[in-house]
Amino acid sequence: MKPLDLWAHELRRAGPAALAGAPALVLLMALLAILGARLGSRESTTAFMLAGALEWVIPLITGMAAASSLGRDQAVELQLTLPVGYRSTVLRRLAVMAGWTGLCAAAGSAVLAVGGWWGLVPDAPGGPAVQLTWLAPALWLAALGLLASAAFRSTVAATTTVAFVWVIELMFPGPLQASLPSRLLYLFATTRGMVPDDWTANRVVLLCSALPLVAAAWFLLGDAERVLGGETE
Amino acid sequence: MIAALRYEFLMQIRRPVMWIVYGLAFAALVATMWPAYRTLDLGSGGGHDPKLAMVVSAKVTMSLLAIVYGCLLADRLIRDRRLGVATIMDASSANPLGRLIGKYAGVCAATAAPIALAFFGRAVVYAIAEGKAEALAWSVPVFATAILPGLAFLGALALAGPLLMPPLVFRVLFVAYWFWGNLIPADMMPTLSHTIFAATGDYVAYGLFDRGSEGGFVYGPWPDAALNFLRPVASPAVAVLWMGVMVALAAGILLLARLHAARSEH
Amino acid sequence: MRIQLSQLTKTYKGGVHALKGIDLDVPTGMYGLLGSNGAGKTTLMRILAGLLRPTSGTVRLGGDDVTTKEGRLAVQRTLGYLPQDLGVYPDLTARQFLDYIALLKGLDERPGRRRRIGELLEVVALGEHADRRLKGYSGGMLRRVGIAQALLNDPRLLIVDEPTTGLDPEERIRFRTLLSHLAGERTVLLSTHIVEDVAQTCRYLAVLAKGRLVFQGDVGELVSRADRQVWTVTTSGAAPSTGRVVAALPHGSGMRYRVVAPVPPDPMARPAEPTLEDGYLALMEAAAPV
Repeated sequence: MKPLDLWAHELRRAGPAALAGAPALVLLMALLAILGARLGSRESTTAFMLAGALEWVIPLITGMAAASSLGRDQAVELQLTLPVGYRSTVLRRLAVMAGWTGLCAAAGSAVLAVGGWWGLVPDAPGGPAVQLTWLAPALWLAALGLLASAAFRSTVAATTTVAFVWVIELMFPGPLQASLPSRLLYLFATTRGMVPDDWTANRVVLLCSALPLVAAAWFLLGDAERVLGGETE
Repeated sequence: MIAALRYEFLMQIRRPVMWIVYGLAFAALVATMWPAYRTLDLGSGGGHDPKLAMVVSAKVTMSLLAIVYGCLLADRLIRDRRLGVATIMDASSANPLGRLIGKYAGVCAATAAPIALAFFGRAVVYAIAEGKAEALAWSVPVFATAILPGLAFLGALALAGPLLMPPLVFRVLFVAYWFWGNLIPADMMPTLSHTIFAATGDYVAYGLFDRGSEGGFVYGPWPDAALNFLRPVASPAVAVLWMGVMVALAAGILLLARLHAARSEH
Repeated sequence: MRIQLSQLTKTYKGGVHALKGIDLDVPTGMYGLLGSNGAGKTTLMRILAGLLRPTSGTVRLGGDDVTTKEGRLAVQRTLGYLPQDLGVYPDLTARQFLDYIALLKGLDERPGRRRRIGELLEVVALGEHADRRLKGYSGGMLRRVGIAQALLNDPRLLIVDEPTTGLDPEERIRFRTLLSHLAGERTVLLSTHIVEDVAQTCRYLAVLAKGRLVFQGDVGELVSRADRQVWTVTTSGAAPSTGRVVAALPHGSGMRYRVVAPVPPDPMARPAEPTLEDGYLALMEAAAPV
């Protein structure tokens, strides 16, 4: 375990722009929860939008951040000469970003809990499992973003991949849930409909399937020559 | 301007990563939309009319591949600054606005090339499979009117947006905008989706090519939706208006980008 | 730390031969690596730093073979590396950046680490700017941050790749002096295409041209390659057509040329004392394909 200072530096290194998205989202959620009725939004619509903010936008933020992890590193050549493996550094950064976004998402989830909004989301489970609403897709898209970043070595290509998968998943809940394998890998099972008994299995499968994506990225990041050759366009 | 256009076009079209990402996206599109992408009727049973089939093909292409198009464009203008080319360009005698337009046209044309390939390729496959060569004739005006204006606007937005905010923030906002402002049902929340400002080309599909004619569907205001004043009933005139809005937005954004660059030069 | 390269080759994907059969022995102290742009210097530096794998040949640094994972790790623990394009993290201050790199170099003990950073900031004369964000630093200041980070772990081997490119004359002299002071017990490998940098700091050097090692030895030996090949020609007519003109100065109503050529380039040519630059040019002329 590296000293806490290293984690603090990683947080600072990410920069305010990369860190501002998640708290801004939570602020918007809080405003919507408070002002939704006055703006003429029906309770069920407000609840749907609040849950959607957690289940859709938090994963988009983590996925895009992970997809930028290699391309945004200006000091990659120096990093690759350090005795601490570069892939450990990349994973630490991902953990910092995911941790910060997760902290904000937990605060957003608390907004829903305090206002009783979770009860109005038909497919949302009770208890702590409700946190899997955002956690599972966020980690899965982050893993995909990391793999895309390591495979393409191009921020543009990696973020485009994440964006495309995100849009496809949101637009086509029907076809993507038609068969069991694709249903278990569907990202937005809480807000875009799901066979009720499959919800927990879906979340667990998402979390487990993120691991091979990270493992593949880990493998690719181990090749310094390959990492160094990226982002030439 | 022509030199910038040519250079940017060649630079972008030679990027292998662009073709790889489009290829993956197209494969995902076909896999997800099957069999609707095969019949080109989106479940309405109208896939045997070549005109409507091309309109549906345009809709599918714009809805999904436009996000790839926008994201791939999002670093092109700021790249000049990062690589230090911008200063050299600024010192050249070329007119900055002309250069910007040339760059915009070149890079957008190259990034739209895979979309054109997918669309016209689908038209050829349709024409052969259905034995209806007129699909090829319809594909040209459909592409020019339902797809190109939207791409013109999105191209300007994606190029200029990262000038105002960090690229990462822009990409997240762009994807969220695309979903919120173009894809969701109009009655889900207050949205630009299905308005005259949406880039998906529905007004051309319904106003110029009578997509709703078979079921007697009138495209326009949505029941219980906010911002319905931005959703006039589709007609040929409104379709032309939509094209004008897209082109005007693109021109306005490019002008703002030039003004922004001029301000930061001083 | 002694560096020994034997039959080192590097071929990139696409068939570009960056290094061709390099045999080189680098002793402790300051050592220059000269070569034009594209000669293969950066590839060689990156192989030594463990960033690139050689296609064939052996690379031993102080007894460690950098082509193996263990050897590479052992070298990286004692390595200071300043890449040609040093990227930094603009939102960090110089002190934070150095602290961050120090942690990644394994300097976990906080008081010792902070003391070391303080010392190095003074060495590179950045003490009073240490708490400013790097996004506001000039090119010269960033280079100095770069050398400070390279020294954090008190390396036995310091590799600096084109460190003075883009610096103003004052910064360049300051940087060269700093590098010379750092030599002593460690090996400092200075890669550059600026002959003057090597002339002012190194006793020994090697020269690369198109991926081949065309010279290794001491500075005097390279200078002597231009013995009886350097001439001055004062004329009001055209520049000499024989040899390579290395300088042209207005002289009265005409020009005075300094020319490197194996034979007098003009009947009025006078022999001149060669410099390292003349030696380098004579070597390059001789190495160039006819």
